[in-house]
Amino acid sequence: MIGLVSYIVFFLILSLIFGVAVLGLNLQWGFTGLFNAGVAGFSAIGAYTMAILTGPARDAVFGGFELPFVVGLIGAMIASGIGAVFVGLATLKLRHEYLAVATFGIAVTIQLVCLNWEYLTGGTLGLIGIPNPSKAWVDGPLAQNTLYLLVVLVVVGLSFAALERIVKSPWGRMLKAIREDDVAAASLGKSPERVRLEAFVLGCMLMGLSGALYVSFIGYVSPWDFLPILTFQIWTMLIVGGSANNRGALLGALIVWGVWTMSGFVISRVVPAEIQAQGGAMQAVLIGLILVAMLLIRPRGLIGEELHVSRHARS
Amino acid sequence: MHKFGLAALAAALMGIGSTALAADCPIKLGAILPVSGPMGQVGERIAETGLFAVEQFNEAGGVHGCQVEYVLRDTQGQSAVGVDAAKSLVDLDGVQALIGAVSSGVSLPVLTSVAVPSKVVQMSCCSSSESFTALAEEGKTDGYWFRTYATNRSQSAIGAKLTVDSGFKSTAVIYVNTDFGVGLANRFEQDIAKLGGSITSMVAYNESQQSYRAEVTKALEGNPDSLYLVAFPVDGATITREWLALGGTDNLIVNNSLRSDDYFQAVGSKFLQNLQGYDSAQPRLPSVDSFNEMFEARFDSPPNGPGLHSVYDAVTVVLLAMEASGDITGENIRDNIRLVTSPDGVEVHPGPEGIARAKELLAEGKTIRYVGATGALAFDANGDVQAPKMTWRLDGDKNVETGYLSTAEVAELIMMLDE
Amino acid sequence: MILQHIADGILSGAIVALGAIGLSFTMKMLRFANFSHSELLTWGAYSALVFVAFFSSFGGIFDLTFGPFSFGPGLILAMLCACVATAIIALLLHRFVFARLSRAAGHMTMVFASFGVALILRHLVVLIWGSDPIYYSRELQFAILLPGNVRVLPDQVFLLGLTVVVVIALHLFMTRSRTGIAMRGVAESPDLARASGVNVDRIITWVWVIGASGAAIGGVLYGMTVQLRPELGFSLILPLFAAAILGGTGSLYGAVLGGLIVGLSENLSVMIIPTTYKPAVPFLLILAILYFRPEGIFGVRDT
Repeated sequence: MIGLVSYIVFFLILSLIFGVAVLGLNLQWGFTGLFNAGVAGFSAIGAYTMAILTGPARDAVFGGFELPFVVGLIGAMIASGIGAVFVGLATLKLRHEYLAVATFGIAVTIQLVCLNWEYLTGGTLGLIGIPNPSKAWVDGPLAQNTLYLLVVLVVVGLSFAALERIVKSPWGRMLKAIREDDVAAASLGKSPERVRLEAFVLGCMLMGLSGALYVSFIGYVSPWDFLPILTFQIWTMLIVGGSANNRGALLGALIVWGVWTMSGFVISRVVPAEIQAQGGAMQAVLIGLILVAMLLIRPRGLIGEELHVSRHARS
Repeated sequence: MHKFGLAALAAALMGIGSTALAADCPIKLGAILPVSGPMGQVGERIAETGLFAVEQFNEAGGVHGCQVEYVLRDTQGQSAVGVDAAKSLVDLDGVQALIGAVSSGVSLPVLTSVAVPSKVVQMSCCSSSESFTALAEEGKTDGYWFRTYATNRSQSAIGAKLTVDSGFKSTAVIYVNTDFGVGLANRFEQDIAKLGGSITSMVAYNESQQSYRAEVTKALEGNPDSLYLVAFPVDGATITREWLALGGTDNLIVNNSLRSDDYFQAVGSKFLQNLQGYDSAQPRLPSVDSFNEMFEARFDSPPNGPGLHSVYDAVTVVLLAMEASGDITGENIRDNIRLVTSPDGVEVHPGPEGIARAKELLAEGKTIRYVGATGALAFDANGDVQAPKMTWRLDGDKNVETGYLSTAEVAELIMMLDE
Repeated sequence: MILQHIADGILSGAIVALGAIGLSFTMKMLRFANFSHSELLTWGAYSALVFVAFFSSFGGIFDLTFGPFSFGPGLILAMLCACVATAIIALLLHRFVFARLSRAAGHMTMVFASFGVALILRHLVVLIWGSDPIYYSRELQFAILLPGNVRVLPDQVFLLGLTVVVVIALHLFMTRSRTGIAMRGVAESPDLARASGVNVDRIITWVWVIGASGAAIGGVLYGMTVQLRPELGFSLILPLFAAAILGGTGSLYGAVLGGLIVGLSENLSVMIIPTTYKPAVPFLLILAILYFRPEGIFGVRDT
């Protein structure tokens, strides 16, 4: 049974790390109605910041400060947050469909910078040897992973609790008001633009946090980790779980990552070896179908918003 | 989907308790390869060739009398998916050795977060990054990392030598913007300067773009008399077609990843009659011809393409090391890999007969030297191999060998260049 | 060399322009950014492949090629059939996915659904045709030398000519026919158009047909001058959006001009910045235009 336990621990770590980013996206899309198609880019900023702050020194590459894990996490959030301020100031006035395109493009550009700015990011080689704090404390892969899972759980728990408080606060009610009706929200006396920017930056900080947790766990960061498909995965998790509900966001992360990996597991067993090569495409089609079907049949997700009037009722 | 999932899970659960025991049949070998995504075209053929190697081993009776089951998982070219696939192969399928991945961006995280902590051997056919050597030197691989892909160092050296020996004075370089391409192109630039050639331009390209006209036009500046191209077959064909169409010279030197029928056919062999390339050499032995024949019989095409020879050897070496191990554990496999590729061992060759012979020798307690599809493999302390090199050109549709450098000659050339 | 870059830019811009026309219209009239639009180029290109095989099985005139070009009547007919096939796909997607979502869930959900649709369409191509690159013709064309040391392929001359013809035809359609005029009305203000008795649903059908046909032609031309591969459309997403937004959504000329600007700036950019940053150029254009002139060059500010 040890193998299954070990795999489940591993699976939970990865899906909860995604879950942190989903929580961030939920704040932006679910509660505030901001369409951010650049999740991968903000994750990348956090991931590289973590690598630079906590990783070992390398010749001809900036960073390698070997700072503690927690400093790395905080630094990652700050860096993603600063990035988000700039992006937000430039794009948040745009209409939704333009915002989607602009943020998509930002993620592509950030990935290109990761790929080509060798001095900062190690370029195509990426950065290796990023420490996993659990390895300093315990021995053996299962014990280390279990400890890291605890760390991730603490981070998820804190993020979740903070978000729950935030969305129930007056500021959180303001978010929903903006989502439903910009003009009316403005009449409440707060600048919707400012509140939108705040929500955008907070959400992006969580995405950066997620990227930081990922590189620490994997021990390596490269530009190939932040392709647009990552944004797509995070979005799928939110939509399936149910936007505007933090529990839904985490549930979506577990379920979608489960389907994503389990379908690979099943294909490796069910599909004959000779046509396994087609398995990947089948998996992608399957995921696409689940997503579209979900949107059509249950647009509010598995557990949607706990409100009577949702924006889905209007159009 | 649901039913299958449960059945598979149940099957996995039943298998789990007993995976550590050596005598369980079938013995599983995990493969993590990008059969979909941007590298899908390359990965698909590599995956099939890996299966072919397993089939041949099974024909020779398998490992410890057990059939070997080849469990292939798709990485989709994504590190998170690859890492999860590897972890699931190790924990749920109980594999003790992993073949893969292709791109270093996936192999590295699998190595650091799955293979090394779980004490499982990982052998890649294709990952070229210099980071692996760096990690191994720092002692972070615990010896579990191997690759049958001869490192970039020798590739660029041969490429530069070939260019200069052909009398080319000014060379444009177009290379893929990955760790593989960047590493190779930078080395090539240094090597060619040392050998007395010159570079007109170094142009990197990002994979899977709509067209490479801008890159090609830029590389055409300065009227180079030759082009050194580091690419994979799909993009490589696009670039070559645009290069030739826009009036570029047909004096082409290409990296071994373009020694592929997909590439020749896509561009058209008749336009590539001045194409030259290099590759890891195959030993000049009758058994290799029989390997090529067996491959052709199975796939209706010669084994030309990136990673095919090296994945065949990766699978075979790992399975031979399993055969040599009492208990099949990652640790034993790791320790026995050098036992089956020992320079003093009895030479054995690919194919069911060669493997059967190898198994007899191992049963007699002898060390063996597997001389495979990429030549005699000798893994150094970092898990890297050096291979003899050959140069080739196209003659009609056939690619023919034009030169051969033994491992010693390759080492000598590199030493000369590194001075 | 600058002239060569300009020529290359115009040629790749022409394909972007054809693809961007449909994207621009749907973005304006249905108010959603359709990330699956670029997959219509892929499907246009691949479905033409089926028709090429079909026609060449008749032999005769279908085996001929026109003068210096790599293709003959077979490919031209196949291109027309591909327009029909792609339009059918687009209408099915509209009917069963986008229209239903637009009623039930709002247009931002459609954006997200389009991600999923793109994933499905792209991988269906892999399942049906495989991931190896395919060519309509294995013959390699050599460029003809124009004054100024500019080299272009005969097929590219055709590409440019056909793009001009398509744009002129669309121009006539939009200015002369009743449907075309109504379409412009809907683009400017759907509510006003509806109030004045225009059958908006019928117009939207036309938008999809025109958009998909443009995409199919763009895809076939792309396949003709470069190659067919499953990521053909995916790699064009940003250029297409850049062209549509640059020109101003809902504008035919905007999309065409946007396409040319995108093509030119991509190709000219490599003279200043490393080629590896080239894919970011369309995005920088998007950002600049959205910042300084959010309605685009020919666009009308929404009221």
